[in-house]
Amino acid sequence: MKVYTFKELKESYFFLLPLLIFVGAFILVPVLGTMVDSTFRDVSFLKNRFIGLDNYLWLIQSPGFRQSLQFTFLFVFVSVPVETALGLLFAVLLNEPGRFRGLLRACVLIPWAIPAAISARTWELIYNYNYGLANFLWTGFGLSPSGAPVNWLGTPAGAFISLVVSDAWKTTPFVAIILLAGMSAIPDDLYRQAQVDGAGPFKRFTKITLPLIKPALVVALIFRTIDALRIFDMIYVLTGGGPGGATTSLSLYGYKYFLIGDFGFGSAVSVVLFLIALALSVAYVRLGRFGEEIK
Amino acid sequence: MIMGAECDTLRRGESMITRKLILATLCILLPFVFMGCSGTEEAGITFSAGGAPSELDFWEALVRNFENETGIPVNFLRQPTDTDQRRQGLVISLEAGKSDPDVFLMDVVWIPQLAASGWLEPLDGYAAKSRVDLAVFFPNILRLADTYRDTLVALPVYVDGGLLYYRKDLLDRFGFSGPPETWDQLVEVSLEVQTAMRKINPNFYGFVWQGAQYEGLICNFLEFAGSNGGGVSFEGTDILLNTPENRIASEFMVDLIHRYHVSPPSTFTEMKEEEVRLAFQHGNALFERNWPYAWPLHQSPGSAVRGKTGIAPLPHFPKGQSISILGGWHLGISKHSDRKAESWKLVEFLISRRVQKEMALGLGWSPARRDVYSDPTVLEKMPHFAQLPAVFENTRPRPTLPYYSQLSEVLQRHINSMLAGRSTPETALSSAQREAQMIVDRYRE
Repeated sequence: MKVYTFKELKESYFFLLPLLIFVGAFILVPVLGTMVDSTFRDVSFLKNRFIGLDNYLWLIQSPGFRQSLQFTFLFVFVSVPVETALGLLFAVLLNEPGRFRGLLRACVLIPWAIPAAISARTWELIYNYNYGLANFLWTGFGLSPSGAPVNWLGTPAGAFISLVVSDAWKTTPFVAIILLAGMSAIPDDLYRQAQVDGAGPFKRFTKITLPLIKPALVVALIFRTIDALRIFDMIYVLTGGGPGGATTSLSLYGYKYFLIGDFGFGSAVSVVLFLIALALSVAYVRLGRFGEEIK
Repeated sequence: MIMGAECDTLRRGESMITRKLILATLCILLPFVFMGCSGTEEAGITFSAGGAPSELDFWEALVRNFENETGIPVNFLRQPTDTDQRRQGLVISLEAGKSDPDVFLMDVVWIPQLAASGWLEPLDGYAAKSRVDLAVFFPNILRLADTYRDTLVALPVYVDGGLLYYRKDLLDRFGFSGPPETWDQLVEVSLEVQTAMRKINPNFYGFVWQGAQYEGLICNFLEFAGSNGGGVSFEGTDILLNTPENRIASEFMVDLIHRYHVSPPSTFTEMKEEEVRLAFQHGNALFERNWPYAWPLHQSPGSAVRGKTGIAPLPHFPKGQSISILGGWHLGISKHSDRKAESWKLVEFLISRRVQKEMALGLGWSPARRDVYSDPTVLEKMPHFAQLPAVFENTRPRPTLPYYSQLSEVLQRHINSMLAGRSTPETALSSAQREAQMIVDRYRE
């Protein structure tokens, strides 16, 4: 093991200093500030008072919080697998050599490049009851059993499905690109060798591609899970949390309390969201067994 | 030679990386530089208002007129159309104690929250000093919505209230002399006309109103309950929702859908303002509860009810009187403003008769001043204005509590599930009352 001299250590910390200042000022201080604020009755129209864990007790009792926790988890458990499966499919297809590969790869990224608020507005038009594309296809191709248009965003189930579809459209490219990067790192020799040994395309995929892109897959899953957990923009624009609070994600729920001036409670919701995201990331890293080399 | 060339590319590569690094650093730092610049104070006052783009252009023109007349420069801050986004913008600057915006437009339900937070400048003194005649406004609105703890904190610009729209032609055809005055009459007329009309139009319903789970449902509920002498009341610190008056009104709301079948089952799943307006406008309803905005749309070319529509105050229960829930936008001056005198000048300008008339003519808004409703030019363009003062005189605000939004959320959930038939009025109101009490206790000083 190499032993660093004091001078070397000092220099290395000096080089790290800008990053530490940046992280400290823009990440650590706000996070700690939120945690501190969550233990206060910080309501704009009442006197500020330390109340310990009262905000959290109130949170557990609140039916609105339970509803939004349920929705958020359901959203994560449905949207992340859908996006990962589709992303994997796209990655495999885009990894095949072909004349338009570069162009196709660029095209696939377009949904990911469009800001969420703008793509949500576009989807809002698609789901529009009167003139949206969704109802045009639904009634036009005789998919609707009764022939009647559907109020896509008007019912809890419809709004949920619409959100998952829009979110999958938007974030599948992200998964695809990360997995594609993982796939390009796999040497072609392995496949050729497997082919010589008589492995078919499916076997080559399950025995070579899948194990070797596992680190990339875990990275994609962590990013997608955390993003899905704290989803805000898409829902804010598409349903505003409705109908009747059925699609209020945790971040939207917390935001609504900021809106009425209950900053302490809003902070408590943010802290809970933060802890859930942290727990899930740790779980993924454990499951993915990072650092263990692939033999 | 070879070594030298390699070194050269390496060095060139290095300097490329350095250059890229500098560029990246600049990109990160640049926004902060601009953030620093935007902190400079504007000359003049800042006025923030939101709305549809056409409304914003109208405001902008008004503000420029004000500048020309008074010489006070105004920085017009355009807010989005969405109500929650406007509220967010205001709450953030006010909580941060910023001196801008000096004057702003508020939804009537925000007033208690902003006033209780101490963010609104009392206006009584300014009004007295500049001899503004407050009697020209609807007194109930000024007293109930713009006054917080005996202090005038806001002034109305634009008022809104629930109305009963009815099909004049159908009432005539079936021999009814006018719109119903009580809810029982409304059901009676609805049943007769609906039965006859169903033979031609299977989608026809007697009465459409807002029952989806959203803020509009609470306006409707408070109108039903209020017209029976009910609503949200307090006994000391106890909130009262499960009262006999409210139970009767709730039962009636359920009966409209499930017993008399004069209101469609979609009432509790999707009926909001626009759905209700379209049902009526397509000729699928006899009565409609909606805000004044629906009138010009019903009269537009292509509307099936053009020239066949009348408006009236909402019906009431035998022992109550007709009431209408107040909506609309009000002006306030920030407590943190550093230009309060000039700000008041702008408020005074915006509530003047001349400007209020311009708003009525330009945007079709129902002004807060009573004297505009009798103006011949206004009446010529908008004849229905003659009937509106009678409705606005009976408007009532929603409960003026700083935490009204949370209370509304609880009520929406329970009343909507009652309309869907998932709970009885008794259980819905008692669980709503229990949950509401928790909120009251939490936000009590």
